[in-house]
Order: sequence, then C-alpha cells, then structure tokens
Amino acid sequence: MDTVRGIVALVVGLLMGGQAMARPSPDDVLHTNTRLVLELVRHTPSYSPPVASRAFAYLYITAFEAVAGGSTKLRSLQGQLNGLSGLPQRRPGQDYDDAVVLQAALSAAMAELFFNTGPTGQRALDRMAEHLGADASEGVGAETADRSRALGQDLATHILEWAKKDGGHVVENMGFPLEYSLAKGPGAWTPTSRIVQQQLPLLPEWGSNRSFAMPDAAACPTPAPPAYSEEPGSRFMEEAIEVLETRRRLTDEQRTVARFWSDDPMLSPTPPGHWISIAQQVLDAEDADEERRAEVLAKLSIAMADAFIGCWHEKFRFNLIRPVTYIRAHLDPGFEPMLITPPFPEYPSGHSTQSAAAAVVLTDLFGEDYSFTDATHVDDGLPARSFSSFQEAALEAAESRLLGGIHFRSAVEQGLDQGRCIGAYASNLRTRH
Amino acid sequence: MRLAVVAGLFATAASAAEPIIPTFVEETDYSNVRSSYDGGWEYMVGGGVAAFDCSGDGFPDLGFAGGTSRASLWRNISAQGGPLRFEPVASGIELEAVTGAYPLDVDGDGVQDLVLLRQGESVLMRGLGECRFEPANELWRFEAPNAWTSAFAATWERGQNWPTLALGTYIDPEEEFFPWGSCTDNLLFRPEGQTFGEPLPLRPSFCALSMMFTDWDRSGTPSLRIANDREYYKGGQEQLWRVLPEGEPAPFTQAEGWSPLRIWGMGIASRDIDLDGYPEYALSSMADNKLQTLATVLPADAPLRPEYIDVAYPRGAIAQRPYTGGDVRPSTAWHLEFADVNNDARPDLFIAKGNVAEMPDFAARDPNNLLLLREDGTFLEVGSEAGVASMAVSRGATLADFNLDGLPDLAVTNRGENAQLWRNTTREAGHWIQIRLEQPGANRDGVGAWIEVRLADGIHSREVTVGGGQAGGSMGWWHMGLAEAASAEVRVLWPDGTEGPWERLSANGFYVLARGGPARVWAPH
Repeated sequence: MDTVRGIVALVVGLLMGGQAMARPSPDDVLHTNTRLVLELVRHTPSYSPPVASRAFAYLYITAFEAVAGGSTKLRSLQGQLNGLSGLPQRRPGQDYDDAVVLQAALSAAMAELFFNTGPTGQRALDRMAEHLGADASEGVGAETADRSRALGQDLATHILEWAKKDGGHVVENMGFPLEYSLAKGPGAWTPTSRIVQQQLPLLPEWGSNRSFAMPDAAACPTPAPPAYSEEPGSRFMEEAIEVLETRRRLTDEQRTVARFWSDDPMLSPTPPGHWISIAQQVLDAEDADEERRAEVLAKLSIAMADAFIGCWHEKFRFNLIRPVTYIRAHLDPGFEPMLITPPFPEYPSGHSTQSAAAAVVLTDLFGEDYSFTDATHVDDGLPARSFSSFQEAALEAAESRLLGGIHFRSAVEQGLDQGRCIGAYASNLRTRH
Repeated sequence: MRLAVVAGLFATAASAAEPIIPTFVEETDYSNVRSSYDGGWEYMVGGGVAAFDCSGDGFPDLGFAGGTSRASLWRNISAQGGPLRFEPVASGIELEAVTGAYPLDVDGDGVQDLVLLRQGESVLMRGLGECRFEPANELWRFEAPNAWTSAFAATWERGQNWPTLALGTYIDPEEEFFPWGSCTDNLLFRPEGQTFGEPLPLRPSFCALSMMFTDWDRSGTPSLRIANDREYYKGGQEQLWRVLPEGEPAPFTQAEGWSPLRIWGMGIASRDIDLDGYPEYALSSMADNKLQTLATVLPADAPLRPEYIDVAYPRGAIAQRPYTGGDVRPSTAWHLEFADVNNDARPDLFIAKGNVAEMPDFAARDPNNLLLLREDGTFLEVGSEAGVASMAVSRGATLADFNLDGLPDLAVTNRGENAQLWRNTTREAGHWIQIRLEQPGANRDGVGAWIEVRLADGIHSREVTVGGGQAGGSMGWWHMGLAEAASAEVRVLWPDGTEGPWERLSANGFYVLARGGPARVWAPH
C-alpha cells in the first residue's frame, strides 16, 4: 500500500512539475485539471471554438462554486448568471475538504463535458480522476472525504443540468448541420473548403444559445458591415484590396503573428483555450491560490463563452462573404490566404470578439499595464511572445486574422468593439463579498 | 511543355460511363480463417494482415496480427477458381502483442521473411520454407526498440545487397496522463554487411501510422512518405523524407514545395491513376480522406517539387461518412489499397472503416468502402452493391487473388471480431494479367521496380512497394486489369534503372518476369 501511495505521490508530483508531493492543494488541483482540459479541448473533434468556450465556462463555473462554497471571500455566481440558482450548499457544522470537493466537482464535470473524447482522452480522464482523487483524499477522514466528494459531484451535476438547457448541449456532426439552406445573392457567405462537412456553416444556431452574464445574445450588437459592392473605390472593395495587398507583402513578423494566434481546432487548444492558457501562465507566475484561480478562470471563460454567442448571433445576421471568395472572384483568382479560412460567415471576427472580451476581464483583474509572456505554443514549435498588456495581446490576436487573409478590417474592428461590450458583463459579475 | 493538373478540370460524376459493378461473396465461414485483432487502448491502431506465398505453391497465404491474441498464419488451400479455403499453420509467428505484418525477403534467399510489428520489440521472422519461421533479430542484428510500433516500409538503397528498413512508432504508452506530444522516434535501419547497423532516428517523428518508400518523382531514388496521426503530435504534419544513399535523411521542406498537411494520417496507398507516370497517393484519415496528385508535372529534365493538391472531393474519393446503414456521423478510415477489382484497367480503391473505440462523434456502424474508378477519373461507391459493406470495426485489409482466378479477392481484419474474407465473383469482368518479379541476388522480388503495361489509352504503371496501408502489406503476384485487351505489352523498370524489354503477353495469365530473360508463363500445379 505504501508503495502504491508513493507511486501516486510521485505521479502527481511529476504532473505538478517534478516536485514530489504527498497531497495536492486546491490550487494544484485546479492547475492540473486545467492542463488536462486544454489537451482534451484540442483532441476532441467536436470541440470547435464556440463549443470549447462553452465547456470552459461550465467547467470553471463549477470550479468557482466548489471553491466559493468554502471561502469567506468569494461570492457565489448564482443569481447573477442567467438561470443559475439552487446550488447545493455545504451543511453548517460539518467538515469539508476543499481539495476533495474541487477534485470531485472537476472530475465529474470533465467526464460529462468530454464524454465524447477519444480513447486516449478517456484514459487520461480516468487516470487523473483516480490518482488525483486519491491524493487529494490522503490523510482526510473517511467521512469528511465522502461528504466532500458527494458535494463536489452534486455541484457538478447541478451545473451540468443547468447547462443542458442552454441550447448548446447537443453538438452533432462536429457542429455542422446536416440540412441548411444557404442564402444566395451578392455578398452572401459560400463554402470555402473542399471538406464535405464544411459545405454548410458551423453551428448556425449558436447565436440562439442562452448567454451567461450578458442579458442575451443580442445585448452587444455590431453595426452592419460595409455595404457589399463590386465597384472599384467602394469601401467593401477597398477592404478586400487591403487583405490582398497585406497578403502580398507579409513580413516574417506578420507571418509569425498570424500563426501564433491561428489556434486551429484539433491542432491547438482553440482560441478560447489559448486565453485560458494565458491566464494559467499568469496565475502560475503569481503563485495564485485557489480563490484567485477560480475567480479569474470563471470570469474569463464566461466572457469568452458570451463572446462566441454574441459573435455568432451577428455572423448569421449578416452572413457575409469571406475574403477568399470575394478576392478570387473580383481581384485575384490565385489568391491564397495564409491561414485556413474557417467554415462560417465572416463578420464580425470571432477572434476579435473573444480576445477583446478576454482582455477586458483580465485587465480588470490584473491591471492595465500587466506584462506577460505567452508560451502556449512552444510545444508546437512556435516561440513565446511577450506583451505589455492584455489589450495589446487582444489587438494582435484580432489583427492576425487580417494578416492571415481571412477577415476584412471591419470585422476585426467591430469584433473588438463587440468583445469589449460583452466582456464588461462578465467583468461586472460580483465574485467577492 | 508544362502540364498543369487542376482539380476543377475533372469531369463531373454525372457524365461518367458506369463501370462494371463487381460482386463479392463472403466466404469467411468456409474459409476456416479464425483471427481477431484484440486488446484495449494499446491496440486501438494496427491490426494488419500480410498476404504472401509462404508455401511455395503460388497461392497467397495469410498472416494476421492478433494484438493480445496470438498472431496466426493460414495456408491457402483453395483450388484455382474455387471457394476460399485456408488451414492454420504452426509457423512460429504465434507471438502476442503483434500489431502488424509485412512480408519481405530480407536475406534474398527466395523465401519470404515476415516483419512483425509489435507493442514492444518488433521481430524479423526468417522464413524457413513450408510456412515456418524463426526469430532473426539477433542473427541480423535488428535492434528493434521497445516501442509501440505502428508502421513499416522497406527499400534497397542503390548499391546495397541488404534492405533498408523504416520502422514507424506511435506514442509512449507509459504516458498515462499527458500522452499527447509523446511521439517516439521513427527509426531507419541501414545495412551493415548482411546485418543491420545501429538504427538512425528520423527526427522529428510525429506518430506514424503508415510509411512507404516511393519514387514519387521517378528520380530512381525512393523517398520515405509517412502518414502521421495529428491526434498525438505537436508541431507535426505529414512527411516526405529524402533518403539518399549517401548522407543522413532529411524531410522535404515547405521551401522545397512540400505543403503542410495535418490529418489523422492512418494509411497510404499509391497508384498512377491518371496515367501521367507519377503516382497519386490516397491517404486515410477520420472524416474526409485525401487523394493527392502532383500540382505540376514538369518536363523530364526539370526537377519536380513535391507539391501536391488534394483531388478527393472533385473525384468523389472523400468517403467521408457511411453511405449505407443510417449512421450519418463521420467515418474512420484505416487500411486503403488500390486494386482493379473488375479488371476494367482502372484501379479501384478499397478502404477499411471502423470506429477507433466508441468515439461518439464518429460512426459506430461504418461500412467499408469500395470505390470504382470511372473513365472520367471520378470514383463511384459500390460497397453495398458489391457486397463488402461490412459494419464490423475494421482495421487492416489486403486485396489479393486468393484463388488465382484473375480477380482480386478481399481479406479484412476486425477489432474484437473475426476477420472476414470475400471471394470476388464478378461476372463480365475484363481481362487481366498477373506479374511476379524475380532478379538474382539481393532484392529478389524487385522492390522499387515499376511494372508498366501499355494499353490503348496509355501506359499503366505500378510501383512495387513494401509498406503503406494500415500495418500490413502483400508480396507476390502484381495484378493489373486489361479491360478488353486480349494481350498487352509489358515491361519492367528495375530498381537500378535498367529498362526491361517490352514483351507482348497474352491476357488472363500469370507471368514471372525474371531480369535478363523472357517472361515465363506460370500456372499452379
């Protein structure tokens, strides 16, 4: 038995960065599960960016409530998020172990949210739940451990039941509808890839989902994009020419920027995962405790989930053509964007919306001129990049889509504005007493 | 002078003349073959089958990987033109943890050896004749790693009398929590006399699931093409390695024309299907599969760039989701192989399908595909009509003429279920020819040679390769359909570049093309 415990402690120690430890703290639990969820998002085929943002939000709301229940500082989000109420509570006068509650809650939530991940993800989930669960309970009395596990599982169950009613619970065919009528006419979005699924747009109903902190999907509308035109000198054509000329004159630095923020599904933790990764790095650098971690990750993930709902609402309101389609038809038949054009309408830019929303929340939590280095993609061979503020990073992420040849200027700028509006709702959530 | 191959130029499916629909009869029960590919997570990939003649009677025998069950060898006792019948052989290959099998006459003694890929140490099994084998790792100094071995390819580098082997490996199975990004090294084993030298790591390695030495540019020096699984690599892509006899191998770069492609690369099949002399490559994956053709074919005196475009969509070779059975989720493709199943002189494409392991985003009832190549260059799905639309969870496969009637038959391995065998019973099929190569000394089977058949519409060529597919391959008769032709001119371009003479051979026959001599007619005893 001692040998087994020793191996478990060593395994968890390795997970935590090489230091053997007997028992993980709640912030260790949150850190380690975040590492795993960033991999699961990357390796679960249905996890497109909107779907990923939703999973992050429910996971980190679960984490936040698990931590807040044992905290004198944190204030529950129930009553603040749309439709969230009646969360299970700790019983007065009874002992709970915070790490066990949190691990049980995260483990249950991840198993449900990633029920469809592949065999390797399932194996990792099982192993993590088994080993981290055992280590978190190390030295905790059996009754307390059982009570804590039950509470964590009840919390996750309650939040996942709430999640089932948001409109985004069922994602079939990787998010691509099996039937959908494409709008016709000048300026309308048309498929841009030769992948069969992508002949219809991704998640056309996502903008109808229940939002989290903002009142509804239409709470932060964008102005209409420039009027579609094939006339030389028109604003629409001028924006297309900007994309074309930018592509033709891309510098090495611009290529680096476009690749760094590309965050393609199944080849990265996705765009919202990229910002979760940034938050994790910043929290690690600050040696943040579990209250700080839970607060930051919950607010950030809520902002991004709302951003995708709001953005998708607008994307399918305007249903705008992608640059590759327009430019090949009217300016340069040989135009090849540097990045793969995503399979859904152009306006506004999802990267811009969600990055601005993320930056609003993180700036509010960490400050205006908070410098950080982002090493999210080092394992993929992309060097770390440093930023002087979250706003700077968000602007670069947004601009990267124009550099990549997949968005017009208006989609970038209006997306940023929309994201700032959406992020403010998450930022205004009261997470502390 | 420059011929641009543009996907959009292909005619639409609707305008194509309909090909002969082949018919297959499942004879699994009668065949007596009992082999299933078993095991849990460590055996989610693999499950290959090898088709080769180990008994010396000319009929292809079968060697199956078994995963946690033992590998097995089945001697072909079918009568020519008759139903498929096999008998088990206590051959010596009955090892556990076998993931794949490829035949290869390593030592050039005229007896096929067998490469067994394993979860653990892979083993070279030396053929002793009469379908008996013995381990030869020590004898041949084959220092296989303790790894999750998942791919294999072989070639004879110029001037060598011993093969060069490429061993593809997958993820580190010890990585329980974060296996992603843990791809282990692929290895290149070069000759050192009549043994293998210390293996050379092919870095970076990106979790290979299929490998093939192929002379993609007809330069006379094959390169190593590798299909990699994007599920596990970080910063990876599909690869093409330049492997020159002198110097260390190096992957082709984007600056040299190689376009990054990131798919769940699971299998490779090659054949020149547009008769331009250069092979197309079919790549299996999850959801959409790929069919690559060179973007630009230059004159023979200019170097080619390995720049490929994907024509699977316009050619109807996507095979993206089940075409029957009602499951609309995307497919999971494994072994794929070209074979002219109706002898209309157009290679068709078979794809084995099956869920990785209860992945709910992908089809659970995922029928195998049989795509017929039509006159206009597009493919027609006929798996149901042909009778091969098995819903079992398939992995490996081989299309070989088990009863030597001139029609490629089919064996498919299944995960956790018995393998299946089908006899090709197509009526009204075209004419055919089957070739076996023979050269003295090393590389007796002419690996790396090109067999060319001249018909009215052009020269039909196929490269003799060892590798590709999903963890299994074949060696022996190379089948070519001839359509209505009563005879055809045939020649061999030998691996060292020597051009054999054109010979006119009658259709519907077996021929041994021995280097330096006239074609010999062969018939079973």
